[in-house]
Amino acid sequence: MKTYIARRLVAVVPVMLVVATVAFVLVHLAPGDPASVIAGPYASADDVAKLRHQLGIDHPLHIQLGRWYWRLLHGDLGTSIFLRRPVVEAILDRAEPTLLLTTAATLLAVLIGVPTGIVSARRHGGLVDQGLMVLALLGTSVPNFLLGLLMILVFAVWLGWFPVAGYVPLEGGAWRTARSLVMPAVALGLVQSALIARITRSAMLDVLREQFILAGRAKGLPENRVVYKHALKNAFVPTLTVIGISFAVLLGGAVIIEQVFNIPGLGRLIISAVLRRDYPVIQGVILIVAAVYVLVNLAVDLAYLALDPRIRYQ
Amino acid sequence: MTPKRTVALLVLLTLAAACPAAAQEQPRFGGVLKAAMIGEPPSLDLHWTTAVITQQITWHVYETLFTYDRDFNPIPMLAESADVGDGGRRVTIALRRGVRFHNGKEMTAADVVASLTRWGARATPAKPVWKSVEAVTAKDPYTVVIHLKEPSGSLILALARPNSGAAIFPKDVVERAAADGQITEFIGTGPFRFVEHKPDRHIKLARYKEYAARPETANGYGGRRTAYVDEILFLPVPDVSVRVAGVETGEYHYAQQLKGDLYDRIKAMPGLEPVILKPYGWATAVLNTKQGLMTDKRLRQAFLAALDMEPIMAAGFGHPSFWRLDHSVHYKEQVWYSMAGAELYNQKNKEKARRLMREAGYTSQPIRWITTKEYDWMYKNALVAKQQLEAVGFAIDLQVVDWATLVQRRNKPELYEVFSTGFTFNVDPALSTSLQCNWPGWWCHPEKEKLLEAMAREIDVKKRKDLMDRVQTIFYDDVPRVKFGDYFPLDARRKELRGFQPTPELFFWNTWLAP
Repeated sequence: MKTYIARRLVAVVPVMLVVATVAFVLVHLAPGDPASVIAGPYASADDVAKLRHQLGIDHPLHIQLGRWYWRLLHGDLGTSIFLRRPVVEAILDRAEPTLLLTTAATLLAVLIGVPTGIVSARRHGGLVDQGLMVLALLGTSVPNFLLGLLMILVFAVWLGWFPVAGYVPLEGGAWRTARSLVMPAVALGLVQSALIARITRSAMLDVLREQFILAGRAKGLPENRVVYKHALKNAFVPTLTVIGISFAVLLGGAVIIEQVFNIPGLGRLIISAVLRRDYPVIQGVILIVAAVYVLVNLAVDLAYLALDPRIRYQ
Repeated sequence: MTPKRTVALLVLLTLAAACPAAAQEQPRFGGVLKAAMIGEPPSLDLHWTTAVITQQITWHVYETLFTYDRDFNPIPMLAESADVGDGGRRVTIALRRGVRFHNGKEMTAADVVASLTRWGARATPAKPVWKSVEAVTAKDPYTVVIHLKEPSGSLILALARPNSGAAIFPKDVVERAAADGQITEFIGTGPFRFVEHKPDRHIKLARYKEYAARPETANGYGGRRTAYVDEILFLPVPDVSVRVAGVETGEYHYAQQLKGDLYDRIKAMPGLEPVILKPYGWATAVLNTKQGLMTDKRLRQAFLAALDMEPIMAAGFGHPSFWRLDHSVHYKEQVWYSMAGAELYNQKNKEKARRLMREAGYTSQPIRWITTKEYDWMYKNALVAKQQLEAVGFAIDLQVVDWATLVQRRNKPELYEVFSTGFTFNVDPALSTSLQCNWPGWWCHPEKEKLLEAMAREIDVKKRKDLMDRVQTIFYDDVPRVKFGDYFPLDARRKELRGFQPTPELFFWNTWLAP
């Protein structure tokens, strides 16, 4: 087991190297540069060229790539051109809202999706099942930014229950933080809950047809015990995979929702960085998000062990 | 009329006359003003960037030696007076005494010399003026002398400009600038001091209690500046629908750059007041006169002749309150407004366009036009113009990119024939970006350059106006840019934000929050 984990962690290194290289190349091949943005719309071409030199972005690409690798080797993601601070600091500063938002959205997705899937599977073919699955289909079809904008209109502008946008950090009070995250978390989580509901239903249907479920019922086990203890535990492996992926997807999906709700998280950071061509920040955030993806996948794989003792890693 | 009735009438008239004064609200101190801005400034160093958002935020913190009155004439701000001597080759500026920076130190000539020297070397708009500056010296702690190689009619106007303006920083702040040259401490003499910048959250300014206000009544951007609100929060809110919703619910007191089609809705909202900034800018297509097809003047003239500006402007800006058809390089509201070349604007002359294209030997080679949807109107302007140009035989290759790509590509003459942009309000014709030779498009015309140089030297306003008329005649004959029309952005303010003046440049001093 320890060897397995060590092997997986070592395998992260080449993945990160590929991600770092691809991120660097893509970012630098894209047209536009930070000097033009800093200098402003009325700057002359000479001034922009001078600024490119001062920022050190006029060196040949291979030299800049070499520097990027060298810095990475020393655990340094570089310094933001616009924020004028280390990229790591900028990311840590933005981590709070994004992690809270993603966690809240994932929790919401699980709390809605899993029970919906179970109820649907138990009422398979019935009106409730069909109704819930239509809702789930609707949920997966609605873009989260549209849901977000509709929620702003209804719950903030018309009803005034929540602030239109913005984020209150935890230091400003947990209640105010929670209030600022309700709408974005719902907009983000609702769509994922539909996906989780569909996967849970499908997995539950498979398991509920297994012989051991029939045996359980035959020996007189209460139905709830059959469903929640025996069936759900076995059906939860594919659901857990989707939840894990959902968390990672939500980290990425938060980009749009953070923009809509004006939340200063990693999503806003990367959008600003892309629009302004803040190369170190784009590269740093891509690298960190990729690392989170890899680590979440590892955590999910390890969680399988707890759910299904038949699974063994060599 | 009986004496009694006469007295009663007089009393009534007196009361009626007194009523407006009584109704006039007294400004009140306090509160936090929240302004929803379109994004983040690329830098807080005013010398470093021409980005309008940097100026809108930082000119509450930094001040310049001069500024503009309501008629856009330069008036002293940090300067007490200016004296021009030696046949216009020496400008002696007396500084106001007792003006303190936000670090508590008094502003002296040493700070001004350090700041102006840096501005002249660094700021894009400073460079055309600074060519004629020989030296800036401190005569005594409160007097600065600018020695010129030749007289300059642009110097004081340039020192007064807000965009990329000649902000006065403490000397030690200039000296402690970062390795890349940007200042790292944001200290000025303005009515508000910089408190903090939390990227993507806010920029917080607070009232500077020791602010040395000018004694004169407020006039344009000058005169007495009073910070009534305790704090200003500039919030970056990139999504326009969120800016609208926020100002509607009262979360923001001011929201900038809203879509024109919201005008009627905003007017109908009880707590809101639409703000139309007029004059503001003109929408244009810049033609590449340095390289490629558009180096042929006849093709440029054909481009201009083919266009019908009304549908172009209507597509870009919608509601007629936000645009007007006008040919002049400067606005009707300015002394430089000129009728020169007016007959060549909005010609809608397809036959003339076709004839000029034939004369130029044009055979449907693609005209690469770079535009962007980040400024929606630029794309819409280009889209309608494309249809009109294709109707006369131009082959337009419209390349839609993001703004960062556009501003990079326009510096490479081999990449385009045309690009979209807008030129915002500018006070001095000699310094207009739209006329500069070193700006993308590279409109370098020997006679125009001579006229601009003469204008930069000329102090007499009437003579400058005559020179400007001649420049505009060349502008319409040589067609380096095609002006579509003037545009005016829509902002919105809460009605409780009082004292607000809609001017081309946004500012919040002398405004207060009613309960």
